[in-house]
Amino acid sequence: MSLKSWMKGEPVAVETPDQQRDAAPAEGTTIDAGAPSRTLWGDALARLRRNRLAIMAVIWIVFIVLVALTADLWVPQTLGGPTAQLYDARLPMSAAHPFGTDQVGRDVLSRVVYGARISLAVGLLATAISTLIGLVMGAVAAYYGGFWDTVIMRLADVFLAFPYILFVIVMLAVLGSGIQNVFIAIGVLGWPSIARVFRSAILSVKENDYVDAARSMGASDARIIMRHIFPNSVASIVVYSTMNIGGAILTEAALSFLGMGVVPPDPSWGILIEDGQKFIATQPWLMIMPGLAILLTVLAFTLLGDGLRDALDVKMKDA
Amino acid sequence: MGKYIVKRVLQFIPVFLGVTLILFAMQNIVPGDPIKLIAGEKKLDPQTELNLRATYHLIDTDADGKPILDESGNPVETPLWKRYTLYLGGLLQGDLGVSYQQSGKSVSSILMEKYPYTIRLAAVAILVEAVIGILAGMVSAIKRYSFWDVLVTLSTSILVAMPAFWLGMLLQLFFGIMVKDWTGGGFYLPISGAGGPTAEFNAGMYYILPAITLASVSTAYTARIMRSQLLEVMNQDYIRTARAKGLSRRATILHHALKNALIPVVTYIGIDFGGMLAGAILTETVFNWPGVGFETYRAITQRDWPIVMGSVTIIVIVVMVINLIVDISYAFLDPRIRYGSSKDQG
Repeated sequence: MSLKSWMKGEPVAVETPDQQRDAAPAEGTTIDAGAPSRTLWGDALARLRRNRLAIMAVIWIVFIVLVALTADLWVPQTLGGPTAQLYDARLPMSAAHPFGTDQVGRDVLSRVVYGARISLAVGLLATAISTLIGLVMGAVAAYYGGFWDTVIMRLADVFLAFPYILFVIVMLAVLGSGIQNVFIAIGVLGWPSIARVFRSAILSVKENDYVDAARSMGASDARIIMRHIFPNSVASIVVYSTMNIGGAILTEAALSFLGMGVVPPDPSWGILIEDGQKFIATQPWLMIMPGLAILLTVLAFTLLGDGLRDALDVKMKDA
Repeated sequence: MGKYIVKRVLQFIPVFLGVTLILFAMQNIVPGDPIKLIAGEKKLDPQTELNLRATYHLIDTDADGKPILDESGNPVETPLWKRYTLYLGGLLQGDLGVSYQQSGKSVSSILMEKYPYTIRLAAVAILVEAVIGILAGMVSAIKRYSFWDVLVTLSTSILVAMPAFWLGMLLQLFFGIMVKDWTGGGFYLPISGAGGPTAEFNAGMYYILPAITLASVSTAYTARIMRSQLLEVMNQDYIRTARAKGLSRRATILHHALKNALIPVVTYIGIDFGGMLAGAILTETVFNWPGVGFETYRAITQRDWPIVMGSVTIIVIVVMVINLIVDISYAFLDPRIRYGSSKDQG
């Protein structure tokens, strides 16, 4: 789901034949980024490259994802797993333990590294779930209109009437805690805003002549949605979902803090804060470090979202 | 105008029914028999159990609240639809049921006890949000691209990206421990449970840190909205006209730009007040604040479902009503809303 794969998708508004797209750019195209590209995503990428904050955000995200994925290779196994090697409890920060050790003697840096896995997984998966549901709901509402539009949008109103964090908490109280339920609760309850964004994006694309043209040539509904409407309204979804990832990470942290999220000993960043806060008076770094990890990562996703919004020129209502 | 209000109120009804239906459904999905939750390890005698089941509308009762028995002398389970109407009827009369754990205490009386703390905290937080948010946004917009603008933009991004409860801990760490001598030990560490009796929470000082924590994210948003609104208004023709007729920049901003830029900001703050009454669950837990949020958290950990559902229901209704009021007053403030169509708003 890289930008590259999108770039190979539909050209926007300008109908460029395939063979021309990869060829040299037409003379006289004035794109402010000065990039020799004729696709929406090519232009966007060029513009994104010039946004230093967004680049820093991407670097941080790539770094933290790599760290999370490769943790098993370079964090000594004894530190992270259930058979964690125990050192002296509550050691201060030092070269051997840059973030110190916790109350049972586990190395906190390793815990934060392994915590990245769970927090990122929650952020990405929960966002994927809510984006998927939101896309389907938004597409049905916008494309079919009428009865389905009313039903789905009223349902979205009902969901949005709940204060979000409270809704997630009640949902988890009903489902019980645990990582799968965190995915489900955050994912399922996040769809209405995506559905609204996608619906209004579709509504603005739907009336275009090329959609009528496709229909007159006998394209099916599914084909029109997938080939014509989706590529042309996906920009806002990409921006929205990127920002959503940070939100999901924050929600997971809040749930874990309340003791309803991921169940220890799985070390999500939220769990690490909750663990560390008991020793706030004596070993404050135990709760500071995982909090910093959350702050930087959420900030990175927000900045990347901002950058994408500017690069893709998406108008957002409440941003 | 009257038409707009009627339309908004009519839209409110299906949402209200949907919300209560979802809450009711969740209440009934919750695993475990409530009677077992109440009794715990104890064995209840059959008559007490029967009465309890009647109290919680698990079995059918007659007009006097006595359980109705079928031919073989067994109680009749109340059908779900009837329980929903009973729940809705009770809700409309302010009856939210009875707590499982605090024997015999009605949920509404418990919430009545807790709400003043939440409302007072939210009021202080709104004050923080309005004053700091609006001022920061103004400075940021007026001195665009200056050091102050960068500072405001940066700190709003950071505030939005950090877990608010973590900020609460940092504040406690800083004021409660690191500068303890300087503050004369005035700030303690409420997170460690050193809260003490409720009376302590009446001292103004104890509002400062929780209010900052509760207001942090919304203050950042207020500043951002204020900044973008003011910048947008400053581009309008009437501002150029005011400047052209010789008004100073200062007077233009104060008398012409500010009022118009403030409308969306005030709306946001209004809606946020509702959100604060709801979202205080994290702040209240971090600060051991004896409000509705903390009570809800406590009830969740003790599986006291009537309190959880009761407080959530009340919070949702309060939020919905505040949103409705804000929407309507927005139409008073901004005539464009009244006449403009809002068909694309979902």
